Amino acid sequence: MRILVIEDEKKVATFIKKGLEEEHYAVDTAYDGEEGLYLAESNEYDLIVLDLMLPKIEGLEVLKRIRGKKNATPVLVLTAKNTVEDIVKGLDAGCDDYLTKPFAFVEFLARIRALLRRENKEKEPLLQIADLTLSLVTHKVTRQEKEIELTSKEYALLEYFMRNPDKVLTRTMISEHVWDYHFDSMTNVIDVYVNYLRKKIDKDFEPKLIHTLRGIGYMMKRA
Amino acid sequence: MIFQSLRFKLTVWYVLILAVLLVSFSSFLYFTLSNMLYRSVDNKLRSLAGLIASESSSPLSTFGFGDMEQPLGASTNLKPIGKFIQVLDESGRIGQKSDNLKNVQLPISLNTLRNASNGLITFETSRSFGNTPLRIVTLPVIEGNQISRIVQVASSLEDVEDALHNLFVILLITVPSALVLASLGGQFLANKALKPVDDITQTAHRITSQNLNQRIKLLKGRDEISRLIETFNEMISRLDKSFQQIKQFSSDASHELKTPLTILRGEVEVALRKERAVQEYEQILRSNLEEINRMSTIVEDLLLLSKTDMDAVPLHRGPVHLTEILHDVVGQVGILAQAKQIHLQTVNSDGDITVLGDDLRLRQLLLNLIENGIKYTPEKGSVSVSLRKEVNAVRAAGEHAGFVKIIVSDTGIGIDKKDQEKIFDRFYRVDKARSREQGGSGLGLSISKWIAEAHQGDISVESELEKGSTFIVKLPMAVF
Repeated sequence: MRILVIEDEKKVATFIKKGLEEEHYAVDTAYDGEEGLYLAESNEYDLIVLDLMLPKIEGLEVLKRIRGKKNATPVLVLTAKNTVEDIVKGLDAGCDDYLTKPFAFVEFLARIRALLRRENKEKEPLLQIADLTLSLVTHKVTRQEKEIELTSKEYALLEYFMRNPDKVLTRTMISEHVWDYHFDSMTNVIDVYVNYLRKKIDKDFEPKLIHTLRGIGYMMKRA
Repeated sequence: MIFQSLRFKLTVWYVLILAVLLVSFSSFLYFTLSNMLYRSVDNKLRSLAGLIASESSSPLSTFGFGDMEQPLGASTNLKPIGKFIQVLDESGRIGQKSDNLKNVQLPISLNTLRNASNGLITFETSRSFGNTPLRIVTLPVIEGNQISRIVQVASSLEDVEDALHNLFVILLITVPSALVLASLGGQFLANKALKPVDDITQTAHRITSQNLNQRIKLLKGRDEISRLIETFNEMISRLDKSFQQIKQFSSDASHELKTPLTILRGEVEVALRKERAVQEYEQILRSNLEEINRMSTIVEDLLLLSKTDMDAVPLHRGPVHLTEILHDVVGQVGILAQAKQIHLQTVNSDGDITVLGDDLRLRQLLLNLIENGIKYTPEKGSVSVSLRKEVNAVRAAGEHAGFVKIIVSDTGIGIDKKDQEKIFDRFYRVDKARSREQGGSGLGLSISKWIAEAHQGDISVESELEKGSTFIVKLPMAVF
């Protein structure tokens, strides 16, 4: 899951990025409204974390412009403004959730999970394909009730596959949702990681879940 | 409640005063009138009696005992209608009588007879003469040291008493009704006059810190009440303004403190999610310390400013050698300038400059301005501080001898025109991110402004974007 953090306070942006990456999210950061808007418009994010008091372009304006482009990416507004009017203004401008600073990091993570879940119309914080399960909260992955240890990138890759079963996922799509802005999608890193993942979840089990579509990409099949 | 209301008290006082006035006036009228009427009756009786006495002292034959109107009318042209007349001899036997006393006689008491024999006139009121009260005068006629006759003249008091009785009844009815009307009128007037006071009370009741935009409706005219309303409205305006300021200030202050708090909490929480290398912990602690220092600065500056708001920061005035403290401050911040390879120079052509002020605060002022200059000037730029005297050539009484100017110029990023007037406001930041990176509390220039103004001086800025800024502090020159 790829997340864009637009926050002008560098230290805040840094610890958010660090904390989210440790939760297997791919994170891009922008330090002002202009940069944030550019990134939001040129990449596909699963979620945007937005501060309201931003230099160059105000947070609410960034939000309005994102929504103006029919971009329905969930937006979590993060701000020190905590009056009722501020919250109403933010929600009316099109944000999906609101968290005031200073915040508890676990709450921040829970809200992000909730927003992503809402996006996928899932109610369970548990993804399941055949006998493979992935817990979004504990990050535990099991197949046939055996626990599988994954690295951070492998986990992120598997989560993306499991959120989009029976869909063709091109290398570009995978790079956009699993890796951050600095990743060069022309390398064969994706193939390498898909192979790592296959070894862990498919090699010792039947049926095989990850399928290669030659020249196109990959697909995870339900059965 | 109603008995304590001003309206009630006003009405009561009004009615009370009117009652005292009306009752005294009525009593005065009644008694004066009755007095006058009785005296007039007495006077008439006395003069008639005198006349009869003098007439009857002429040859006795003219006044035989019996009908006496005829001769009286003939000799004096007098027709004593309604008067009763009788003449007695000295022993009290009745002689002549007027016609209207045909079968009766005027009463005469022993006392009156004794008085008469002693030569004294007696006036008396008798109620024993039928139904009518009579006023009787008894006049002894003295001839040659001896009382020859006694003349009695009487008149009915019925008319007088009727008139007085009527007057009494009229007063008894009109005075209380006048008072009732007056109390109604008084209440109406008091209501009318106090209506605006009620309005003020109601508005004042409605006003809380949430709706200080309410005002009392102004009345036409310029009476005491309109002045009260105006004063009241002005007071609400002032309250409103200061509430707004406090609101803005506390929201700014909490916002300023929230950023370091967010960083502290976030960094620590993320760090604690798993075990980390020692270097990482160290880095986090160092970053935390930075935020804690920032918070301390903000809190200290805030405390100072809130104290200045209450005029609770005393200035320890004394002669301050600006040249010296400038030298000290430049020494202090030299290391900052060196780190950015900024050329920091001082220009002082006017020799030793001394002002009357607080040494510590003036140091703080210089430090703030020079530090700001270094912060907002890119590497290899320059910051210059000059001290200048400006002597007032022509000085009016009470004016300063002149000004000392402290001019801090940099070749930094400059300040946009629209921001220039706001930079002295609390927490106003042209570039929030940059200011925080430089470790500012957002209050430095507010404090500098306060210091300049507390010394009866002022502070101003001239600036052009990308060229640099010049801060000018003017302090009154000390007279020694």
